[in-house]
Amino acid sequence: MTKQERRKTALIFAVIAAVFMIGAILTGGGAGEEESIQQVMRDAVLHDLNKVSLFGLIDVNPGLMAGFIVSGILIVFALICRIFVIPKFKMVPGKFQLVLETAVGLFDNMSKGNSKIHGFLGAYIFAAGAYIFTGTLFELFGVQAVTTGGVSISLPAPLSDINGAIMMGCLSYLVIMSGGIAGNGIKGIGKTLKEYSLPISLSFRLFGALLSGALVTELVYYYPKLSYVLPVLVGVLFTLLHALIQAYVLTMLTSLFYGQVSDNTPKPLKEKKRRKGRKAEAESAAAGEAAAA
Amino acid sequence: MTGVPLNIDWQQILLHLFNFTILFGALYILLYKPVRDFMAKRTAYYADMDTRAEDALKAAEESRASYDEKVRGFDEEVRAERSKLNKEIAESRDRQMAAAKADAEKIVSNARTEAEREKEEIIASAQKEITDMVTGAMEKLTLEQSASDAFDQFLDAAEKEK
Repeated sequence: MTKQERRKTALIFAVIAAVFMIGAILTGGGAGEEESIQQVMRDAVLHDLNKVSLFGLIDVNPGLMAGFIVSGILIVFALICRIFVIPKFKMVPGKFQLVLETAVGLFDNMSKGNSKIHGFLGAYIFAAGAYIFTGTLFELFGVQAVTTGGVSISLPAPLSDINGAIMMGCLSYLVIMSGGIAGNGIKGIGKTLKEYSLPISLSFRLFGALLSGALVTELVYYYPKLSYVLPVLVGVLFTLLHALIQAYVLTMLTSLFYGQVSDNTPKPLKEKKRRKGRKAEAESAAAGEAAAA
Repeated sequence: MTGVPLNIDWQQILLHLFNFTILFGALYILLYKPVRDFMAKRTAYYADMDTRAEDALKAAEESRASYDEKVRGFDEEVRAERSKLNKEIAESRDRQMAAAKADAEKIVSNARTEAEREKEEIIASAQKEITDMVTGAMEKLTLEQSASDAFDQFLDAAEKEK
């Protein structure tokens, strides 16, 4: 592509963007008219305004609905892979096979690398990583749902719902505890309970990270004038980045603590104790010699 | 749910848990386990191939060592065989020489005997011829001069000479 052609393309792109911007400004405030930014942000944190009906049974937070959809997407994807891709796996992998193997291998190795007794840890962190990553990316697509109040909203990330984050944090803690029991029996429970702040830190780390992302996105999208160029950064790049980071952080922490509480190798004696032990040995040897004399 | 901070709802936590449990099970059965099994199978396949290659290499090295050993043994064998053959050749040569010597001695002895015999025959024949010749000559002489006295004298002389 020559310099002139590049300029021409850039000009066309700028004209199209300008047309969209003018159109957006002329068509009015949009979503901002129905809810104030304060209400939107408060609802993103507390979920007390907009509820979604779960098959007409109960009213739930939109995050739970998003969770079901994300799970559905992942299960369908896994099913398609199982039926059409995995039976055709080759010894020398193709691109897609390589992606699947890398994903599975990453979590499998993470579990093996952090713990001698890893049991189902690899499978758990694989599922958790896939759920967090896909769930976080899910908010990018702006899947629409209608609230019980008849308002159309875009579904947030499942883990930006405090209930989802608590579930993930507590479940990870239980998995860590199961590792403690597998490695040290009853003593493992005590070892895990020593880290009593873990479920809270795991839950609120996830909730805080995803909620902050959701809040920034809400803030940006609330004002049409901010909806150009800026969403590329805050909407796409930040979402992609924190999808990766949060998936990695939770899985890494879970496997690290799992390894720590399931570790059953005896701790090496401290220097002082060792010195004491040597002194006692020397004294007993001296006493033995004296007795022999 | 008044009084619970951040509107935490236990029912929804359980629903999230239910959702994630199903997802965990499905991902484990449909994706994680088959892919991991395949990777393990491939690792085993290449490990097996590696073991077989190592075994083959080991066998080749053993075979080479055995070949070298055989070559060394063969050289020894050739040397031993050569020495044995040389010895046999020497023995055979000696035997042949002895036989030839014996044959030669026998031939020489036979030739001597034959020559002696022929010599005696020739001498005998010559004596007989001389005798006949002398006898004839004397007869002639006797007949020419006279008589049988002379002839008898000659016979007596001949008898004396004998």
